[in-house]
Amino acid sequence: MSDIYTADWYEAVRDAINAKVGELPAKAVPEGAWHAVVEIVGDGASPYVGAEDTRRFLVRIENGMCDWYREIDTPNPDVSLDYRFTGPATVFDEIAAAQRDPVDAALDGTVKVRGDMRFLMRQAELVKVLLEAYTTSVDTEWPQGKPPYNGAAG
Amino acid sequence: MRDAYDVIVIGAGHNGLTLGSYLARSGLDVLVLERRHEEGGGLCTEEVTQPGFLHNIHANYHTFVDLAPPVGDLEVRKHGVEYVRPEVQMASIYDDGTALTIHSDLEKTKASMARFSERDAETFGRLHTEAHGYIDLLLGTLMYQPPLSVKELTRALAAFGVEDRSEFLSVKLRRESINQFLDQHFENDKIKAHLAFHGAVCSYTNDVPGLAIGYPLLIGKIDNWHLCVGGSHRLAHALWRDLAQHGGTLVANAGVGRILVEGGRAVGVRLEDGTEIEARKAVASTVSVEQTFLEFLDAESVGEELTQRVKSDVKHKDWTLFSVHLAMNRLPEYEAAAFDPDVNRAWVVNLGYDSTRALDADWATIRSGQLPEPKPNAAVNSLYDPIDAPEGCYTGLLRQFAPFSFADGGAGAWERAGRWYGQRCVDAWTRYAPNLDGGIIEWAVDTPLDITRKLVNMPHGDWMMGEISLDNMLDQRPLPELGEYRTPVTGLYMAGSTQHPHGFITFGPGYNALQVMADDLGIEKWWQQI
Amino acid sequence: MGEKMARAYDAIVIGAGHNGLCLAAYLQRAGLSTAVVERRHEEGGGVNTEEPVLPGYRHNMHAQFMEFFDVMPMIRDFGLEEIGLRTVMPEAQAGITFEDGRPPIILHRPDLLDRTHESIARYSKADADLYCELKQRAAKLEMLLATGLYNIPSQETQQQQALALAAVFGDLGISAYHATKTCKVIIDELFETDELRALLYRACVEWGFPVDDWGTAGGFLTFIMWTMANWKLVIGGTHGLAKAMMQACYREGVDLIENSSVERIVVEDGQAVGVVVRGEEIRANRLVASNADLRQTLLDLVGKDELSDLWVKRAEDYRYGPSHVLGTPVFCLYEPPSYRSARWDPEIDRCFYTVVGYDSAADMIRYIRDAYSGRMPEPGAGTWVNTIWDPTQAPPDRHAATGWYFLPVASALSAEEWADVRATFNDRFLEKWQRAAPNMTAGNVIAHRLYTPDQQEQKNLMREGDFSNGEFAPDQLGANRPFPEASNYRTEVAGLYLCGPSAYPGGGVHAACGYNAFKAIAEDLELPSPIDPARGY
Repeated sequence: MSDIYTADWYEAVRDAINAKVGELPAKAVPEGAWHAVVEIVGDGASPYVGAEDTRRFLVRIENGMCDWYREIDTPNPDVSLDYRFTGPATVFDEIAAAQRDPVDAALDGTVKVRGDMRFLMRQAELVKVLLEAYTTSVDTEWPQGKPPYNGAAG
Repeated sequence: MRDAYDVIVIGAGHNGLTLGSYLARSGLDVLVLERRHEEGGGLCTEEVTQPGFLHNIHANYHTFVDLAPPVGDLEVRKHGVEYVRPEVQMASIYDDGTALTIHSDLEKTKASMARFSERDAETFGRLHTEAHGYIDLLLGTLMYQPPLSVKELTRALAAFGVEDRSEFLSVKLRRESINQFLDQHFENDKIKAHLAFHGAVCSYTNDVPGLAIGYPLLIGKIDNWHLCVGGSHRLAHALWRDLAQHGGTLVANAGVGRILVEGGRAVGVRLEDGTEIEARKAVASTVSVEQTFLEFLDAESVGEELTQRVKSDVKHKDWTLFSVHLAMNRLPEYEAAAFDPDVNRAWVVNLGYDSTRALDADWATIRSGQLPEPKPNAAVNSLYDPIDAPEGCYTGLLRQFAPFSFADGGAGAWERAGRWYGQRCVDAWTRYAPNLDGGIIEWAVDTPLDITRKLVNMPHGDWMMGEISLDNMLDQRPLPELGEYRTPVTGLYMAGSTQHPHGFITFGPGYNALQVMADDLGIEKWWQQI
Repeated sequence: MGEKMARAYDAIVIGAGHNGLCLAAYLQRAGLSTAVVERRHEEGGGVNTEEPVLPGYRHNMHAQFMEFFDVMPMIRDFGLEEIGLRTVMPEAQAGITFEDGRPPIILHRPDLLDRTHESIARYSKADADLYCELKQRAAKLEMLLATGLYNIPSQETQQQQALALAAVFGDLGISAYHATKTCKVIIDELFETDELRALLYRACVEWGFPVDDWGTAGGFLTFIMWTMANWKLVIGGTHGLAKAMMQACYREGVDLIENSSVERIVVEDGQAVGVVVRGEEIRANRLVASNADLRQTLLDLVGKDELSDLWVKRAEDYRYGPSHVLGTPVFCLYEPPSYRSARWDPEIDRCFYTVVGYDSAADMIRYIRDAYSGRMPEPGAGTWVNTIWDPTQAPPDRHAATGWYFLPVASALSAEEWADVRATFNDRFLEKWQRAAPNMTAGNVIAHRLYTPDQQEQKNLMREGDFSNGEFAPDQLGANRPFPEASNYRTEVAGLYLCGPSAYPGGGVHAACGYNAFKAIAEDLELPSPIDPARGY
């Protein structure tokens, strides 16, 4: 059990991803390294991100495996970024709580995706696995409560 | 002109200028060559009636404004381009005196539709909202990157498990026509006629199987039609300005005769007047497949198989456009304004197509090489452009679906038929707006043959530079072996509307070819700020 | 939405005609951020090529040729030939042909003077000798004349030019005294051949010199003899020059603000500080320069309130036309004309500029006097079939022809009368053209159209259709242009300069108005001089 958005939690996410990727056939896993930033934008409802704040996490995937997953304090880290996922904190919370489908969130435009969409589509199987690991494989603690938030903060 | 540049771009249409400008901003020494005396290709504004009346001879509708990355990357607004998104975007006027209006405000569009069918208005609203949700994703996936294949797309949609979530994403769309899609979702003939008309104006012909695949995007941007104030050519100026201010060079009146190839590599061009210019890194062609592979290159460089396929397999549109440009001293006042006053403010008005069947009947007539009874669509830019005509005057544009070639007389017959058919189109408009009688100062025609004569990169009057059909889309466009912007000649790229996504002012082909060239030439993609 | 920041530049140039572009390029290079504000959707002003009738057929709507190519500073200073300007110099340059098939007279380019001699000598050896002699001597005036053109005018330069007449032509009996004559008088005194006289009268009109005005003969002996048959054709149409100039501007960093009619010039405390364009004020921190005509600049854009009574009076007295009032007919052809006169000299069929429709010097004078006095003349024209020398100006195996009629000023006829001229005048001219060139049948003309002076006025605000933006007459020429107090490009409004053809030297494709305006501005603002020491001006 680890608290949402803590280093422990990210380690758990990382391990879950790597375990799932390990089960994929080798040809479904592209070679090379990718960097993505996940931007969780405070919306006044989620207690985990200040209303005016944005928390950012930098992920590195190499040969399909998650190398590291860390919180950063700048929108533009000193690596060559491949993707950026941006959305309201509540939406990310709901995804982590398996209450909302991340693909739906992208489809209805609440989570914006920037980067090489062609590659993302071509690696759909891998992406699907990453998303599943994120949403369903980690035992998450919600110290300040989990969504829905009943509009308490906003 | 100097005798060597890093990259030579053939054709100064908006794709060539876009590509050239990004490359110039990347520090390359770029030469853009244009056969005509003016840059812009289809972005062509001329005073063909009287001085002071600015007529857009080709591109009139800018539907990818703020969706296409180059609009921001190349700072076209800083360069003076002013876009207006008309409040009343489009209308259909039906023969019973009723009318439908499409507004920039979705609620108003729904209200107009509801007068014909409450259910259809709700359906339209739902589809429109849905399409808007993922339009960025759709554009990022399907427009502004080199193409995926239909197979890859299908697989990805299945992997993400989204095909069942929306009728828009269903794989069966690729077997359906827009007519079928409309029949499944809408009940009212007139609403269906308008939605089909909108597809056709965007070159998605409503009766062609498979084109339903494009419908989500069409619905999503049905109200994103923009007018370029002062004429579409102003965008060409802005792109040229950007190119030249970043060190690039445009040379007009410089038709290319040959692409020079050495050891299987494109090394330069020879102009029609014999001047040879070296390209140190690459040559990009934005003109037609036929010009590029049959005229500019020899069969040895192209290979016999591709030469043959360019001759026999490149697909062009089976209908085109006949245009009448009008100088007027009054705005049209439609009789249908009694039903819906907003028709008098509609930028583009579809006159007389009451059902998809009426459209289908005209496609059949056109495909058999006959002229249909005129049902032109009428655009009055002056409603929203304060400077495209002298004070107290207005411009008008009639566009009529038409064949390029007559069954009897071929394309050449347009030389005799143009004025006569133009008069019939003007008469048709006047029937819907009787006050135009006596209000037209002068008019000029631009026939399908004129399209090809003016812009020789558009053979068969094909203003999309390649048919819009499922087997001429994505990586299959214009031919599978050319679908990735690269060609059998190393260092030669295809970057015009022959390529994915297609013609229209999308900026897509130039922008996508740029991605491929950047990979090959090791250019840092500064424009991809993630 | 945030508030729009007021746009500001160091310099604003009104009008993207070639003079405005020339000035803008030098200003930006001198370090001043510069914007050119243009009313039309296109740069170039009168340096304008269009496809007005049929696709692929290009026609120069105003300026047809370049006679100052060799001396125009901007071409060298900004490497215009490196960025797209390409030209050809046709061998047979200027000719006149006749419907009865008598020999043409063809003036060839200067390096082919023997052919010119041969052509004139068919009529008169004495005229041939004299013309060639004058032409060779006038070539020696090039440095003097170019220096005169590309400098702020003064009474001294005009005196120098008059003195040069004596120096260069003195042993032929020509002295400064000849400068007081009219063009017609001096042409008649010098040449005996009626056909040559007709051609030369026409050349005077092309230049803008009224053939009957006293005191213009000096211009004939100097400028006309120097530039006669010294013409270059711009590949693709004269607009190719505007494109190259525009591109030079862009490469320096100039902005063009097109589709933007200037409503007024903003004057604060007697200083020009900006312009208002479609309701938006654009600031000019250092200067405003106007390529628009004199009256528009002073009376319409600045306004009488900011001007002294003298300047208002001068502007109101300034005249437009009847010189340089253009009617431009355009023709799309299957084949170029084959003239009856070609049996004497086939070169007439390849002549760059061919005068058609006049039988005699008297015919020509009648035409000119009619047009100058506001009467529609009998048709006759100077014609160009540029496709003979530049096939890119029409579709393959087709030809594009353009002409110049000189017509009455726009205000001489009503709108209905001009509409009637547009509907009938070309057909009447074509009848004459066919008599001189039998293949010019209706079947050879695919399409044609005429642009009348009232339309030239609408298109480019060339008042009265006068492309020089002001009559060429001794009181409006040289150091008198537009009027003595304004002849140094400066105005009485600080920071406001004139840079268009209302200023010295006037209309024509030389860019001298823009270049000289830059010299004046450079003096005032202590900018680097544009003078290339090797060039000398």
